[in-house]
Amino acid sequence: MSRVRLVNISKSFGNAVAVNDVNLDIAEGEFVTLLGPSGCGKTTTLRMIAGLVEPSAGEIYFDDQLVNPLPPNRRNIGFVFQTHSLFPHMTVADNIAFGLSVKGEDKKKIQARVEEMLALVDLQGYEKRMPAQLSGGQQQRVALARVLATNPRVLLFDEPLSALDRNLRDTLKYNIRDLQRKTRKTAIYVTHDQSEAFAISDRIFVMNQGHVEQVGTQLDIYLRPQTQFVAEFIGANNALSGQVVSTGETVGGRDVWIRVQDQRLRARDDVGLRNGDRVLAYVRPENIRVLEDGAGANFLNTVEGTIETIIFEGSTVHFDARVGESVLRVELAGTERLTVLNREGARVRLGFNEVTLIKI
Amino acid sequence: MAVTQSSTFRFSRHFTDVLSHGYILLMCVVFVMPFLAIFQYSLWKGATLSLDGILGNYQFVFGSFLTNLQNSLMVTVTAITISFLISLPAAYAIVRYTFPGKRLVLSFLSISLYVPAVTLGLGLILLYNFGHLFIGSIWSVVFAMVVGTYPLMLTPLIVALKDLPPSFEEAAYCLGASRWQVLTRIVLPLIGQGIAAGVLLSFIIVFNEYLVTLFVVGTIPSLQTAPLRIFGLIRTAGLLNTTAALAAAMQIVSFVVVIAFFRIVGTRYLKGTYLI
Repeated sequence: MSRVRLVNISKSFGNAVAVNDVNLDIAEGEFVTLLGPSGCGKTTTLRMIAGLVEPSAGEIYFDDQLVNPLPPNRRNIGFVFQTHSLFPHMTVADNIAFGLSVKGEDKKKIQARVEEMLALVDLQGYEKRMPAQLSGGQQQRVALARVLATNPRVLLFDEPLSALDRNLRDTLKYNIRDLQRKTRKTAIYVTHDQSEAFAISDRIFVMNQGHVEQVGTQLDIYLRPQTQFVAEFIGANNALSGQVVSTGETVGGRDVWIRVQDQRLRARDDVGLRNGDRVLAYVRPENIRVLEDGAGANFLNTVEGTIETIIFEGSTVHFDARVGESVLRVELAGTERLTVLNREGARVRLGFNEVTLIKI
Repeated sequence: MAVTQSSTFRFSRHFTDVLSHGYILLMCVVFVMPFLAIFQYSLWKGATLSLDGILGNYQFVFGSFLTNLQNSLMVTVTAITISFLISLPAAYAIVRYTFPGKRLVLSFLSISLYVPAVTLGLGLILLYNFGHLFIGSIWSVVFAMVVGTYPLMLTPLIVALKDLPPSFEEAAYCLGASRWQVLTRIVLPLIGQGIAAGVLLSFIIVFNEYLVTLFVVGTIPSLQTAPLRIFGLIRTAGLLNTTAALAAAMQIVSFVVVIAFFRIVGTRYLKGTYLI
């Protein structure tokens, strides 16, 4: 139940900069995710919040308390590891009781708390089992019970579901979210899996090479990426590089026209571009429609291309369309997706409205 | 439909089995023979087996030889304890931390395993004389044993700690345990087998050690350990039944400890030492 603030946090290991001037402000009771590829600094940042790693520079605050000088055992946190964290020589009950027993709590109180935690994660009756007898999912649920038992003020998750199989991951992530909501604890979650981050976070910090690229809700990040990295890391995207050739005011706002090779594309300008600016224009595959003859008047942009390989994935069909020198990935869902099957090599007209612009 | 092997094939398989089992048995007998000889001799009085002999000889073990046995046991237990108390922090630092010259440090710490016992013994005498250390005390032997067998405790501890993922300690730490609690409630229980291996190896070597001990207290009868007494008696009094009884007593202690260890713990943590 603490507000967590990181102010100008940096960490270097020798000459390698792992975390570079990161600022985070996480509200009480919020569930945020640090999302990024391997090596982006998200785990190092999490471990600095825990106190397992000392920052090279910067301050960390829980509410108004500076926690830099405090070791992990004095910060009152709950840290859930990816794997290998349940003490193998202790029963489930002793594992859950550990945080309380090291503080010298009363045995009866500890027992009651252990029962309470087991009920919370739906593992009643498992007190005397050993960790080796539990499945991966059960182990992580016990790990959750163990950290919640001490009533920490911040919950920290280091890719807790990465070692589990797909189906388990899908159900367990909602368990984690539900528990966090129920206990109203501030939670900081690290993952490289976008769908995980999107499913359970209040806000997401997208990280790359030691710094934060963008902060926002799922909608912010998906619909309005602010950097090239975010546009290309989050979801599939078509990137076209081009140059602004003219601008204009319309009813909805400012529009620009961009020359991309031999095409002219029209896009909403939220960035404040001028003639001559070089940009990357992004079109999401799911925003592109296949136009039948004559149709297309209601699209801002229409292009013509040749269908290359078509892949039927079940609920979606995607194909690459060669448009001039570029290749556009198109994704279709719903009944219309079946209309393109067996049309490899055919010419099609494609229409789309939403274009995201990133100035370069 | 069952496949039947030809009877010649079955015979040659059987023959090979008999040969290999026979070979192993023969080797076992060969290796055990010296101990059987000692044990048998310790039960005799003079040239014959007699009950008088058995009782008399072993009474000697608990009578005249008692000081020697006590010295042996005291040195062994103390040396193992000191070795452990020094090895644990060293092993922990080597495994969990990075520091310059780590490989060099590890080599230095293992040196006494590869130094000839005579060199070690001579070096210790020089150290004791010129440093005025442990003169006329059993601690001269204890110190010598610690220096000589330290790597035998260090190596299994390093192996055990390397096998212990750091996340256990980190998890305990984040749950609020103090460093001491992490050590006693998480680390030590989980490296228990490594500790047992170190204790076993050190026990075997120290309990039976002769050469370095000879250098250090060879001239002081009251400080002599059991192996020293046995050898001294052989040189002065020849092959006595009572001497054999002392040797057999030492043998029995060693056997019990080793067999108990392998039954309880297994052989995993003895990798990297020169005994396995």
